[in-house]
Amino acid sequence: MQSDTERQELRREIKDAAARRDAAATVAGARRLLAASSKPADVMFCATAFAGVADALREQLGARRLKTYVVRSVTVEPMLPALAVEAVLANYVLDLEVGGYGSYADELLNSDSSLEKFKPDLVLILLDMEEIAGRLPEMCADGIGAEVEREIEECVGRMAQLLRSYRAGGTARILLQGLVVPDCTSLGDVGEANLPHSLTKAVQGLNQRLAALCGTISDCVFFDVDRLAARHGRARWRDARMFFASRLAVAADSFRDYARGLVRTFATMYRAPRKVLCTDLDNTLWGGVLGEDGPEGIATGSAFPGNYYLEYQKYLKQLSSRGILLAIVSKNNEDDVREAFNVRAADLALNLESFVALKINWNEKADSIRELARELSLGLDSFVFVDDNAVECEAVRQQLPEVVVVEAPAAEPWRLVEVLSEQPFFDAAVVTGDDMHRAEEYRAQARRAELASSMGSRDEFLASLAIVCSFQSALDAPLARAVQLLAKTNQFNLTTRRRSAAEVEEFAAAAGGQAVVVRVRDRFGDAGVVGLALARRQGDACYIDSLLLSCRVIGRGIESALLAYVGEEAARAGAKRLVGEFIATKKNAPCAGFYSAHGFSRFVPSEERSSESVFYEFDLTSSAITSPKWITLEGNER
Amino acid sequence: MSNEQVPASLRELLADIFEISSEQVTPELSMGTLDSWDSFRHLQAILAIEGEYGVQFDPQRIPELTSVARLQAELVKMGVAL
Repeated sequence: MQSDTERQELRREIKDAAARRDAAATVAGARRLLAASSKPADVMFCATAFAGVADALREQLGARRLKTYVVRSVTVEPMLPALAVEAVLANYVLDLEVGGYGSYADELLNSDSSLEKFKPDLVLILLDMEEIAGRLPEMCADGIGAEVEREIEECVGRMAQLLRSYRAGGTARILLQGLVVPDCTSLGDVGEANLPHSLTKAVQGLNQRLAALCGTISDCVFFDVDRLAARHGRARWRDARMFFASRLAVAADSFRDYARGLVRTFATMYRAPRKVLCTDLDNTLWGGVLGEDGPEGIATGSAFPGNYYLEYQKYLKQLSSRGILLAIVSKNNEDDVREAFNVRAADLALNLESFVALKINWNEKADSIRELARELSLGLDSFVFVDDNAVECEAVRQQLPEVVVVEAPAAEPWRLVEVLSEQPFFDAAVVTGDDMHRAEEYRAQARRAELASSMGSRDEFLASLAIVCSFQSALDAPLARAVQLLAKTNQFNLTTRRRSAAEVEEFAAAAGGQAVVVRVRDRFGDAGVVGLALARRQGDACYIDSLLLSCRVIGRGIESALLAYVGEEAARAGAKRLVGEFIATKKNAPCAGFYSAHGFSRFVPSEERSSESVFYEFDLTSSAITSPKWITLEGNER
Repeated sequence: MSNEQVPASLRELLADIFEISSEQVTPELSMGTLDSWDSFRHLQAILAIEGEYGVQFDPQRIPELTSVARLQAELVKMGVAL
């Protein structure tokens, strides 16, 4: 802990930075202060400083503002500064409103409640045991509890009714907090562990059921506060003194951990996980330096100390099995590395095929990562780079600020997995089938590239791919995949509107509206659901609200096929004009000419909309948009 | 009385919580005289003071500690060297 003078010095720096509206410096100062001291007063100090620069945070750092309503049955107010601070550190500015203690049901059920009037982007539902399952402690007291199962069923049913009722009218994203397993019970630890219906088991069962419930509600995520409490110690999580005196459910010492858990959980509804992990080899993937120690000399395998590294390899393998792509970025001789993977195959949890790309050379690592991004058609903001060398890490940090750099603790290799898992960048509340097949799809991409280079013309190449596009409702995509595409597609995205699941449902349900996805396969494999369009009917025109395509399939005419499909559907529904909209962002320049290239002409709508939008129209009565001849279409026969 | 009678650390802390300048933190400052000193800020102040000085107040005393002078006296009673 630093001295009080240093603390005062840091506070002054933060105050100065906030006074001159320097958002980055305010945040950097706060990070340093909070790393050294998490006393409530420091957290509150930072919260006040951040509140003063809320606009600057949004303008200068692109922080996302979230109108956040807290539905609660416990006292949360003293924790709100910590919540606001952790949110800013994750680049969100929360505009907070707190509901009444006893009115949570009314707020969720009643369409003119204070919750509805606030028009939140995010609703945090923080209820305690008494409200969710008040009868459980008594019913579980004998550990046999014949009624427990039915009670859990009823509790889940009540919560389902609240969530569904809110969802029917409200579009805000929802975080539902689970229950903390009570630390002290009359059965004691042994009874809790051995009796079939102890409170511990009942609460754990209830949490599982609530998590499953959240999975059935669009834009809803479950917050497992018990897991968090257990990590930090359930005995310390709650301060019984303050709980009884003020209904404070979390001890002041745990505010920051709690707030961080809340932010990390709701952030998964706003941010897509990163897609690629680039790992260094020497003293990261294995111990020692291959060039010096030779393949036999490097440390890896089940024996100590190789097992540190085996653990990291297993962790990477697990990431890869849910769709995180692995790549090697290492300064080494490629032949030596191939030999090492060959000779030490039995001691490695990964083989060279586990990686979608190898950048093993003597080039600058930042250049290698840039190359990788190009080859995989992914933005640099999808990358994570892990290396033990502080100089390499700093070079990448400076040259590629979008890349997250994780410095492997070389002196404490046992901590690498912990350091990685503390970071939120691979967090996902949903894993889709498309995620799991991604690595395969990228390998198919490489084979396509080989074929392309052996073919004469582009058309000939595209025809040889035998592309099949099939169209279906975004609601059956499944919906989670549609929302995932909306959340993370940047390059080929005409309007970059991050629509929620509830909004997609609205497009699908509206008369003359469309919410359609395209699934693509070719002779090399099934790319899955890769594109989406949302459109709404307005007068005699059909307006395309969103149209996007995953960057890994751009350039094969699929975007044209999707547009043609939307046009055809609009004409079928009686629309006379198809209206396209383009909103320029830092990343979507490649699709600026999309509508013009498809025969649309510029026009200014009579009622002037957002000034950043450029509109295009296409007359559906005289012609149709043509789909490329090399693409076979499915799903639009009716 | 002036703010000089309140130790600097307590003054800074209460100023942050009630969003006032540290000059305004005098012994007489109380829940009754300051609008921003509501029941939630009171709880925040109590938790912040506990964290700052490593003490735990008796919950039954908490509702009574509604002025700077009373907070200060309670801390002294608990043996905190201010």
